[in-house]
Amino acid sequence: MQISGYEFPDDLYYDKLHSWARVEGDVVTQGMSKFGQAIAQEIVFVEAPRTGREVEQGQTFMSMESGKWVGRVAALVSGKIAEVNEELEWEPTLVNDSSYEDGWLVKIEMSDPAELDNLMKADSPEMKAFIEEEAEKYKDILG
Amino acid sequence: MKLYRLGTVPWQDSQLLYHSLPRVGREGVILCSPATTYVCIGYFQDVEQEVDVEFCRKNDIPVFRREVGGGATYLDGEQLFFQLIIRRDNPLVPAGKIAFYRKFLQAPIEAYRALGIPAQYREVNDIVANQRKVSGCGAGEIGDYYVLVGNLIVDFNYEMMARVLKVPDEKFRDKIYKTIYENLSTVKREIKQVPPKEELWSLMADKFVEMLGPMEVETMVDEEWRAKTDELAVQFLSDEWLYQKRRPRAGREITIRAGVQVRQKVYKAPGGLIRATTEVQDGVIAAVSLSGDFFFFPEEKLADLETVLVGVSEADVEATLASFYEEHGVESPGVAPADFAQVLA
Repeated sequence: MQISGYEFPDDLYYDKLHSWARVEGDVVTQGMSKFGQAIAQEIVFVEAPRTGREVEQGQTFMSMESGKWVGRVAALVSGKIAEVNEELEWEPTLVNDSSYEDGWLVKIEMSDPAELDNLMKADSPEMKAFIEEEAEKYKDILG
Repeated sequence: MKLYRLGTVPWQDSQLLYHSLPRVGREGVILCSPATTYVCIGYFQDVEQEVDVEFCRKNDIPVFRREVGGGATYLDGEQLFFQLIIRRDNPLVPAGKIAFYRKFLQAPIEAYRALGIPAQYREVNDIVANQRKVSGCGAGEIGDYYVLVGNLIVDFNYEMMARVLKVPDEKFRDKIYKTIYENLSTVKREIKQVPPKEELWSLMADKFVEMLGPMEVETMVDEEWRAKTDELAVQFLSDEWLYQKRRPRAGREITIRAGVQVRQKVYKAPGGLIRATTEVQDGVIAAVSLSGDFFFFPEEKLADLETVLVGVSEADVEATLASFYEEHGVESPGVAPADFAQVLA
């Protein structure tokens, strides 16, 4: 669905740091939302974390750079990193150009599916209110 | 928030202290200068691609990888560092990185202006005066804190800056030196004098207080902060941290300031190798040098081509090449205008 002019696919989960999660069995694919990349602007570097690494929901585990700013990315769920999108080391702008498809960041083998309850769905009132508030906050950047 | 006016500190501390302060859960503004020279690279840089490590080793110039963005730079005691560590949820923090840079770089900008230097903010994170960069800045996120680091450049060793960088050849190094000299200025160059350091520290401190409000001033690193700094030193001063592999790059590009790059690209065309060293300013070629082992007839037209390319936008390079070939009857067997475009845009 569209919120404040940005696409948020209905089948994904979202957090308040503008990441999305696609759940397939016990594997969660994580990426940055269309809205998130718009406020981050052009991504010039993405760090590929090590596969096999254990991550915890809400804990930062990888970095990206845009505008000489190194930003950190927090895990949407706890678990083990099963796969990283190594293509991003060569083409980091995929995060900008294909946020929900080729620009995915990592796949995590989720250890506790109940943690998904801490995330938001696109059609929830909480998500709508959050994005509208963020759009207002970042209106100078979003134009 | 406290103002840590530390003066001259060991070079390691001039980097480690702003990495450790957020890790002990504190906001602050650190003002300091390194006692000795060193090279500092951005978090995502590959030290062996960016820095002449062998030269640095032979000349006892340490190299440090910071956790904030930006490029490799040569640092010494003629630069006064400002380092702001502020919680993400501090009400003073504006939304978005441009607003963040714009707001918090105002303190050094005001310090420059008080010295009579017409400094102003230029997106994304430069401070410029008279069209030249006068301060290098970068930012990062450490835990729940944002970190902004930069410097007030009193004087600058341009030769050493160009010398410590890894470059494909000496011609490229010479180009880097000239371009940095033309695009980066200092307090000394701008006002033809060097104010006493204490005066500059006081000026910077005052401007940060004006921006952030009254702050308690500390001049020493306390025990807790020292312990965390020493703990971090083990990781941050290790070869494993410094030599992290980053993605290899095709060619070599050095950003001098926002909008100004010097790059060298090499392309193997069917008719031979083409090498171009190019200076680009805001998407327009400002200077170019072409070489390689290709044939180009009439030979003397190669220099004319270099001249014609100056002032051409990167988007128009291929069309300019094609019309130059046609106009001058250029023949370059196995090397088409499109091949030149590969190394020029």
